Amino acid sequence: MTNRPSVPETDSESPDFVIESEYGRILLKSNCKASFFDNLEMDDGLGHFSHYSSIIKKIDSFNKYAEREDGRVTLAVRDPNVVVGYCIGSYPEPNDRWTLLGKLMYELAALELSRNFRGLNLAYRLLNSTMNDDFFEDKIAYMCGYSWHWDLEGKNLTAGQYRNMMKQLYGKLGFREVYTNEPNIALRPENIMMIRVGSRVSAEDNLRFRHLRFGIKPK
Amino acid sequence: MLEDYPKAIVTKDGTSVLLRPVVESDEEALSIFYSEIPKEEQWFLRDKLDEPETLHRWLKRLDYSKILPIVAVREDDGKIIANVRLHLHVAHCIVHVGHLRVMVHPSYRSQRLGSWMILDCIKAAMDMGLEKLFAEFVSGVEDSAIAAALKLDFKHEGVLKDYIKDKNGEYHDLIIMVRDLASEWSDF
Repeated sequence: MTNRPSVPETDSESPDFVIESEYGRILLKSNCKASFFDNLEMDDGLGHFSHYSSIIKKIDSFNKYAEREDGRVTLAVRDPNVVVGYCIGSYPEPNDRWTLLGKLMYELAALELSRNFRGLNLAYRLLNSTMNDDFFEDKIAYMCGYSWHWDLEGKNLTAGQYRNMMKQLYGKLGFREVYTNEPNIALRPENIMMIRVGSRVSAEDNLRFRHLRFGIKPK
Repeated sequence: MLEDYPKAIVTKDGTSVLLRPVVESDEEALSIFYSEIPKEEQWFLRDKLDEPETLHRWLKRLDYSKILPIVAVREDDGKIIANVRLHLHVAHCIVHVGHLRVMVHPSYRSQRLGSWMILDCIKAAMDMGLEKLFAEFVSGVEDSAIAAALKLDFKHEGVLKDYIKDKNGEYHDLIIMVRDLASEWSDF
């Protein structure tokens, strides 16, 4: 039996790193391209949301994001081919308020871990792999946390506790909470918008973003 | 949690405002703030922070583990335009409850500033692990604050009939409102 991971190991498709865990070998791979998704399966611990339908229902859904301009898909795959977690990034959806700032804004649109693979620090590793790129120094990366997306039952947490967990997780990568009157965020106080402002983002762009957060459109 | 400050907001008229904890050097700006609160409203201030000596003593004893006072400061000139205080308890039986007090400068009302301050307080309370936020408002005096609290899911929990007396000797009800922080999102 070979020790090589079954996930393709060409330069462009080799994993960022490998985690040996009690659940077996887990491979993390950022910037996955469409060809990477062939023959993968979703772990049955993904997609448990009582109050919402995940944007990722099956493997094919990853293609949609990978094929977008600057779209990013980072996967955690249990050897040989079971997706146990993912992080997805892309420019905002066309109807989002943030598109008014063009390509300045970049959304970390989804981060999910299988219920069967928690406690391995995979969420941080997925995020870190996704964000570990100079690309983000020109962007305001953001995440929107909505309590109805959170697996509160699986984590046995209140919405406030889950919010705290999100703050700590994203905070490790330089994100901080900001306020906005964007209706979905403003709907519940536990909801959270967090941003990381890239080192090359100008003060003027920062100010435009601040105003847009409160509904004042950029001139 | 304090590392989250300052937090930026923009009011309805486009004024950039920073929310941050009160520091001792805010004495002059706070003194001006309280002096600009109408006399008839100063009457209802429990802590009498409109009195310079009281304010001075209060600032000397700042302890964020007992009271987290947050001010809203105009970014352009540093003027304090609102103040919210989250009172925390040390008694075991009510350590899970925070007590909220809010005051907005008259020139900055109807700008949703009070709502942002209360929301900030709710989030801070959640981050501290509190389970309930408690607030008292004087009926007929703080009706806009009551409206803001209702929008943020505070519920009427009680009324102390004719509990408060104004400067003219007229009685007002004290409205008790509570925001449950531990409840799940039952409306979804």
